[in-house]
Amino acid sequence: MPLLDRIDPPPPRRIYRWDLDKTYLRTEFDTLRQLVRTALQKAHEKVSVPGAPALIRELGAHGDSRLCIISGSPRQMRSVLEEKLKLDGIAFDELVLKDNVSNLLRGRFRALRGQVGYKLPALLESRGRVPTDAEEVLFGDDAEADAFIYSLYADMVAGRVDERILLRVLDAAEVYADERARILAAWKTLPTADPVRRIFIHLDRLTPPAYFTRYGPRVVPIFNYFQASLVLMADGMLTAPQVLRVAGEMVQAGVHNLFTLSNSLQDLMRRGLPLEQVAESLVEAMQGPHQLANALRPVPDIVAAFSRRLASLGTNPPPPRATAVDYVALIDDARPRTHKSRRPPG
Amino acid sequence: MARPIVVAFDVMGSDHGPAEVVRGAAQLSLEAPHIHALLVGDRAVIDEALAETRHSGERIAVHHAPDAVGMDEKPADALKRKPGASVLVAAGLVASGEADAVVSAGSTGAGVLACARTFELIPGVRRAALASVYPTRRLHGQKEDPFSLILDVGATVEATAEDLVAFAVMGSAYARIISKNTNPSVALLSNGTEAQKGPPRVVEAHQRLASLPKVRFVGNVEGVDIPKGTADVVVCDGFVGNVCLKMLEGVQETVVELATYAYKEKLRWRAGMAMLSSGIQRLKDVTDWEQYGGAPILGFDRIFIKAHGRSRAGAIANAGKVAAKSVAHDLGRAIRENLT
Repeated sequence: MPLLDRIDPPPPRRIYRWDLDKTYLRTEFDTLRQLVRTALQKAHEKVSVPGAPALIRELGAHGDSRLCIISGSPRQMRSVLEEKLKLDGIAFDELVLKDNVSNLLRGRFRALRGQVGYKLPALLESRGRVPTDAEEVLFGDDAEADAFIYSLYADMVAGRVDERILLRVLDAAEVYADERARILAAWKTLPTADPVRRIFIHLDRLTPPAYFTRYGPRVVPIFNYFQASLVLMADGMLTAPQVLRVAGEMVQAGVHNLFTLSNSLQDLMRRGLPLEQVAESLVEAMQGPHQLANALRPVPDIVAAFSRRLASLGTNPPPPRATAVDYVALIDDARPRTHKSRRPPG
Repeated sequence: MARPIVVAFDVMGSDHGPAEVVRGAAQLSLEAPHIHALLVGDRAVIDEALAETRHSGERIAVHHAPDAVGMDEKPADALKRKPGASVLVAAGLVASGEADAVVSAGSTGAGVLACARTFELIPGVRRAALASVYPTRRLHGQKEDPFSLILDVGATVEATAEDLVAFAVMGSAYARIISKNTNPSVALLSNGTEAQKGPPRVVEAHQRLASLPKVRFVGNVEGVDIPKGTADVVVCDGFVGNVCLKMLEGVQETVVELATYAYKEKLRWRAGMAMLSSGIQRLKDVTDWEQYGGAPILGFDRIFIKAHGRSRAGAIANAGKVAAKSVAHDLGRAIRENLT
């Protein structure tokens, strides 16, 4: 970055918002034992989801974006999380953590598990600090209510949500009065814009992808970050070499190979995402003079695997149609996963 | 990361429709990370079922096949008319090396024909054999399977002595690999236990097997010995095997029907049945064929597992595991080595 830009950085063109647990980090806290173990983990013991650090680094490589992290982890974990991100080579602009001690001391037990009352005001307030024309890409997971909250946030900023609907949602999510006031206050100060381009939901719990069709094509459920990279490349936010670097990190992590990557590409195409051009560009990049796919050798096998997966599909379905999200119908998704009214998907 | 074993599933053959096979493959993708599923069939139907099912998208791929062989069709005619039939395409993917094994719950005849047209017979094998497992009183192998293996049950209607010997070798190799039975006992099905009993081909096969060092041949067994589990592997020709198997299935169904009748007919009988219910359930659990997934078509250089037409998702997933295990232990090589 030039010296002038470091002193007075240009306003961000893109905002990448990430959740941490189960989105960036491989975290297990379904039982009390897992919760305690997670809380006591040191930075170097925490494991990131393969490809997530590489994807964040590549998205930030243009120098015109901002990385904002909003996590449900308690504030007491800040130093450990900051150290983990530093170990992964991630520089963030915002790291918002949950004040669970305060919630506990004040007897606000609903706020301990609730996501809407915590994340929605944090997102809206953060939006108020960025230029109106800055685009956004959001990353969450299927463990709690990320698809619901991110979609609601996107539609609120775009002026597509009626206040009465919002209030019904906040009631259903049992949001406390002060959180409700923060949400309404932050929302009303925002200029209307339609900044959210994509919402990626990492399928940590392997929720069936069809579950998310109710949120429209903006929400893309993903099994891994190679899939997110492919979609972002199609959206013009990443280049082929950058996608290959993400894939390289995933292969080096030891949990992915040619088969899982080519299956991942085919999975997206079967869901109607138009990625033929992306696949061709990737193949070209691999065969180029710089041999960018060093980590993915041998190149002919990769090309053959990807080509086979594409050729075996026949005719691709049309891309999914954009439809308005019916938040009242989806109101159960706003409640904590442990709530009795929440239907288990799949 | 080691190369996964890729199992091609003929999605279009099940009595319960394509979605059941898709659900089985989806279950497999969650339970066995080293096995990948290649779903072969109508792509739109597969996609719809898969999107609604919990699965790992990284371990599943789809290969579109436009046609399917119906249960009411003559296999030879159907495969001739439908080169894009899912079972034929799946076998082709195995032959080309894109997949390692096939699992099909479709027409048995079409499966055998697809193998014959696409795979090579193992040197020393003249005819293929369809194997099946049947619940027995005695437990078999390290895994203590309450099943014995019967072959052939329909692939080769008239088998020669040479064929019966090959079937014995193939059955022995399969039991060794799948049931972890290091030295399985093999018997010929006949109308008496004496060596000279039975038609000439059985008598000749008996003589040959008795002098074959690589198979633990225990002589002839009679029909009554099948449910007793006297031998780990029972060898016969396809005609006899199929009649036996269907009769045993019929007996089992009749017993269940009689139990249902008894339960409904008299209060005292119902009370008796209720008292026996946990024992009956235990018996049902250990003899649940769905746990064993499917049976192989043996004799070819590639693996083809024929799942029962009525297989539910769990049985399909187990058939995938059996296929992967056969590939991992190189069943073809084990048979080849024992034949030479």
